[in-house]
Amino acid sequence: MRRVTLRGLQGHLVRLLLTAAAVMLGVSFVTGTFVLRDSFDRALTGLVAGSTAGLDVSVRGTRIGGGDGTRAPVSLELVDTLSAVPGVARVTPDLQGVAIIAGSDGNAVRTNGAPGLGFAFADDDPAFKLIAGRGPTHADEVVVETVTLDKAGLGVGDRTRAVIGATTRPVTITGEVEFGVLFGATAVLVDQATAVREFAPDGTVASITIGAQPGVSQGELATAVADVLPDATEAVTGAAVNAEHESAVQQGLGYATTFLLVFAGVALFVGAFIIANTFTMLIGQRARELALLRALGASRNQVLGSVMGEAAVVGVVGSVLGMGLGILVAHGAKAAIRALLGVDIGSDLPVTSATLLISLAVGTLVTMVSAILPARRAARTAPVAAMRADTPIAQKGLRRRGTAGGVLLLVGAGVLGSSVARDDVPWVLAGIGSFVAVIGMLVGAPLFTRPVVRVVAWPFVVVSGVVARLARQNALRVPRRTAATASALMIGLALVAGISVLAQSVKASVTEGVSNELTSDFVLTVSGGVSTVPPTVAEDARTLAQAGSVAAVSLVPVTIGDFSTPAAAVEAGPISENFRISMSEGRLASLKDDHVLVDHSTAATQGWRVGDTLIATVGTLGKHELVIGAIYKDSQAFSSHVIVDRGLYEAAVPLGLRVDREIFITAAPGADQTELRAALLDIVRPYLVVSVQDKDEFAKAEGGAIDNLLNLLYVLLFFSVVIAVLGIVNTLALSVLERTREIGLLRAIGLQRRQLGAMITIEAIATAVFGAVLGTVLGLGLGVALQRGLESQGLNTLGIPWGLIVIMLMASVLVGVLAAVAPAIRSTRLVILGAINRV
Amino acid sequence: MMTSGTTTVRPPDESTESAGERDKIAARAIGLTKTYGDGQARVTALDHVDVEFASGRLTAIMGPSGSGKSTLMHCMAALDTPTAGRVIIDGVDITHLKDKALTRLRRDRLGFVFQAYNLIPTLTAHENITLPMDIAGANVESGWFDTVIDTLGIRDRLTHRPDELSGGQQQRVACARALLGRPAIVFADEPTGNLDSRASAEILSFLRASVDDFGQTIVMVTHDPSAASYADRVIFLVDGRIVHDIADPTMPVVLAYIQELDQPRVEV
Ligand SMILES: Nc1ncnc2c1ncn2[C@@H]1O[C@H](COP(=O)(O)OP(=O)(O)OP(=O)(O)O)[C@@H](O)[C@H]1O
Ligand SMILES: [Mg+2]
Repeated sequence: MRRVTLRGLQGHLVRLLLTAAAVMLGVSFVTGTFVLRDSFDRALTGLVAGSTAGLDVSVRGTRIGGGDGTRAPVSLELVDTLSAVPGVARVTPDLQGVAIIAGSDGNAVRTNGAPGLGFAFADDDPAFKLIAGRGPTHADEVVVETVTLDKAGLGVGDRTRAVIGATTRPVTITGEVEFGVLFGATAVLVDQATAVREFAPDGTVASITIGAQPGVSQGELATAVADVLPDATEAVTGAAVNAEHESAVQQGLGYATTFLLVFAGVALFVGAFIIANTFTMLIGQRARELALLRALGASRNQVLGSVMGEAAVVGVVGSVLGMGLGILVAHGAKAAIRALLGVDIGSDLPVTSATLLISLAVGTLVTMVSAILPARRAARTAPVAAMRADTPIAQKGLRRRGTAGGVLLLVGAGVLGSSVARDDVPWVLAGIGSFVAVIGMLVGAPLFTRPVVRVVAWPFVVVSGVVARLARQNALRVPRRTAATASALMIGLALVAGISVLAQSVKASVTEGVSNELTSDFVLTVSGGVSTVPPTVAEDARTLAQAGSVAAVSLVPVTIGDFSTPAAAVEAGPISENFRISMSEGRLASLKDDHVLVDHSTAATQGWRVGDTLIATVGTLGKHELVIGAIYKDSQAFSSHVIVDRGLYEAAVPLGLRVDREIFITAAPGADQTELRAALLDIVRPYLVVSVQDKDEFAKAEGGAIDNLLNLLYVLLFFSVVIAVLGIVNTLALSVLERTREIGLLRAIGLQRRQLGAMITIEAIATAVFGAVLGTVLGLGLGVALQRGLESQGLNTLGIPWGLIVIMLMASVLVGVLAAVAPAIRSTRLVILGAINRV
Repeated sequence: MMTSGTTTVRPPDESTESAGERDKIAARAIGLTKTYGDGQARVTALDHVDVEFASGRLTAIMGPSGSGKSTLMHCMAALDTPTAGRVIIDGVDITHLKDKALTRLRRDRLGFVFQAYNLIPTLTAHENITLPMDIAGANVESGWFDTVIDTLGIRDRLTHRPDELSGGQQQRVACARALLGRPAIVFADEPTGNLDSRASAEILSFLRASVDDFGQTIVMVTHDPSAASYADRVIFLVDGRIVHDIADPTMPVVLAYIQELDQPRVEV
């Protein structure tokens, strides 16, 4: 029987290679993910170690309110106390803040919203290395990190402008330093005095780094230091800090890996369809051969073993190819990461044996599991089938299968629909409903083949008559096969459609919410990323005669029990002049001192009522009593769930850390909008990164924030679509082979090559569009359900991405055309006679 | 359903056709040679064959298996390209025609009936019959269509798909398809090879009738001496050469010649 397996492989080499290609793509995703994870792991571990170089003990504030609350600041006055501790060699306060320089073009040097970091320069600081020039000596001198300097198009000795903390000033670049990996952040270093003034204006920092004298262990030093520490501060060893960073890195990597593996799973799932389909067809074509083997005495298990052997070989070959491709993909991703984030994750990529083993196991297993059903069918071939002439492929059970699929689809949709209609959505139940609906669609797809393919083929039939009719009949010949082929595309496109409905709804909800709720004329903001507006901008804006009302919004972390959120800090007056905040209970004016506002859904889930007193941690204030002053309706323009008064914010946030997230400005009555805009532009110009948006621009930008994530998802799903295309190629090629004689006959009685090619192309288009239609319907259904479910969370406007749907359907036509190229060429090369004479 | 229309069926052994009346040539081969393979494995399937098929006649090609009958027919029907020699169909020298022109020629001027697998399984009998016309985008003359299907007695089978038809019915549908386009010549390769004697007789009667009543030209390969007796002429091929040519064959004459052919072989 081994020879039968080998011959089987030989005879269908191309087919099996195409199948292996489907395995390959899925596996490459897995391999790529693991290789990238390992490289990041290595790069970040190196980075963590590098970032704590020279750190033997770190002194920092304890967490306010315990748990994972924010840490209390550490006073700079501690530096002298610490320096006096025996065994201490070096004490450096970790002075860090915002610092951004203007490049040679006058614009701020930034990468995709990554922060612009400012540090204090010290000659002996092991965290960086001076590679050119000298350190800064006064406020008008800076040292710039080498990649940042490169991006700026500037060099040592050049003059430019810089935002350092809250001030903007002309500076001279006196030196260039090298850092470890900054993940796209830019870095500017200033002299100690400036750093203290700008980054620690209230005399506090986040932590203080201590270096030990030779021979003093980290543990000994930490104990010694702890003795002199005041309340609410702690001393931890460098090793402990390292371990903390390490576990944070691992956790982040874990999330990213899981996220990528989900898409690898989708790709493999789609691939499984193609594998099963290919084996079904190969076995169908070999039915007589297998029957002959059975007649000659081969047992069922031998036939099963022979087919599974083929599957194993295909799986291994596909997996090995997939590993290779995966490593290439990882290299590509590495280059993309370097280009986009400016992060170099190491020159070579670690390919561990674990990665290879997992990839091989996953690929081979998926292939073999997918081949089990067809192989069992093969094993059941009756020996008598060898005697029969052409055994028609069994068509029975289609209706039963369709009914089962329809019922599953309806039940799934019903469960999903009723779940998301509830106020408190049972997400697990909704998930089960979606899953059942998807399975129902997959099971029932063969029954939908006829109506959908008829409609899809209709325009072709009108245009090209009999050729299209032949194509349509071919697509309808084995509905199960057409459906299985289309399913791969269906799944990929269902995900695309579902995700894009969600994204479109987010955009629509945000845009609509913002334009409904926002009454101000202009918004000053730092577009994208984590950067913020220096508080002086708001002060300057208030001096403008054209500005009627200026509302600055800052964020402050608030923790109440298990609930943690960045609360918006505003003043009641200005905010009501710039926003239309609808109250569901109480008045906006109650926002004062310790009285806070909470949005409706948060109040509902937490069970808070107006007048409740809560013990909270607000910024640096622990165990602070807050009173619910009023409850407001969930807001889009105002994404915060909790609003606190500005006075409370100032008490809770040290001066140096106070920054504004956004500043909203309404023109004074009768003031000219253009003039106001010009005046605002004048104000923000020195700050380099602050932009002026009008209401519409702001709404659009807020809604557009989701686009980057969306594009990443599309790229990841693209893999599944490529696999789906391979599946169509495979099915078509096999069915051309299966229909060789028929094609010969058609050619004999006068079908031109071109017409034959057209026939196969139309069949492919019908199959692809069928899959796209089913996928789109499924995706739309799931997307709409999701939106309904999230309605109470503020996703109240349904957005259907019609443009994308049209593009998707048109692209599926293209997919069909592409998939048909090879089989069509192959079919037109068939020698008529060979085709006719084939028995 | 096995009735064969209203055709005048001529008894096979009463051949009274006068050959001289229709001497127009429908197809001609000049020095037709076809070889397969190279060197040691070289097979000469056709060896300088010169033959003419007259218009309005039913010609049978006979010969032992492997003698080149199918090859001759394929070369003459523009399904295969000869190694040397020329083929002229309906006055057109097809030797140097490109695939596109050859396809058009087959579609518009030739009809085919094969031994098996004659029909497209996804199409109904009706659609199969009109397929060449549909491919050409030509209109089907409804009068002629009715005549053909009534002659073949397949009117009540038109909406059926091939797998719902018996072998004999399938061959009749194939005949209808071959005739519908009024081709210059119909090539039939063992059209009755898979049928029992009764179904064979029906098909052969129909082919005969279409020659007599509609003036159709037919060239048919067969192994069956009784089938050959329906023909106006039988040519015998042996080792790729025409070795005998019988006008107005009858069953005894054909049988006698076949025995004569076999004789030396037995001795060798
Ligand atoms: N494609 C091919 N390659 C090689 N040799 C071929 C090919 N087709 C036919 N032959 C050879 O050419 C010769 C004539 O074959 P052909 O099919 O014309 O015979 P035939 O008279 O039709 O036989 P039968 O009565 O069995 O159908 C045979 O020897 C055959 O082996
Ligand atoms: Mg033959």
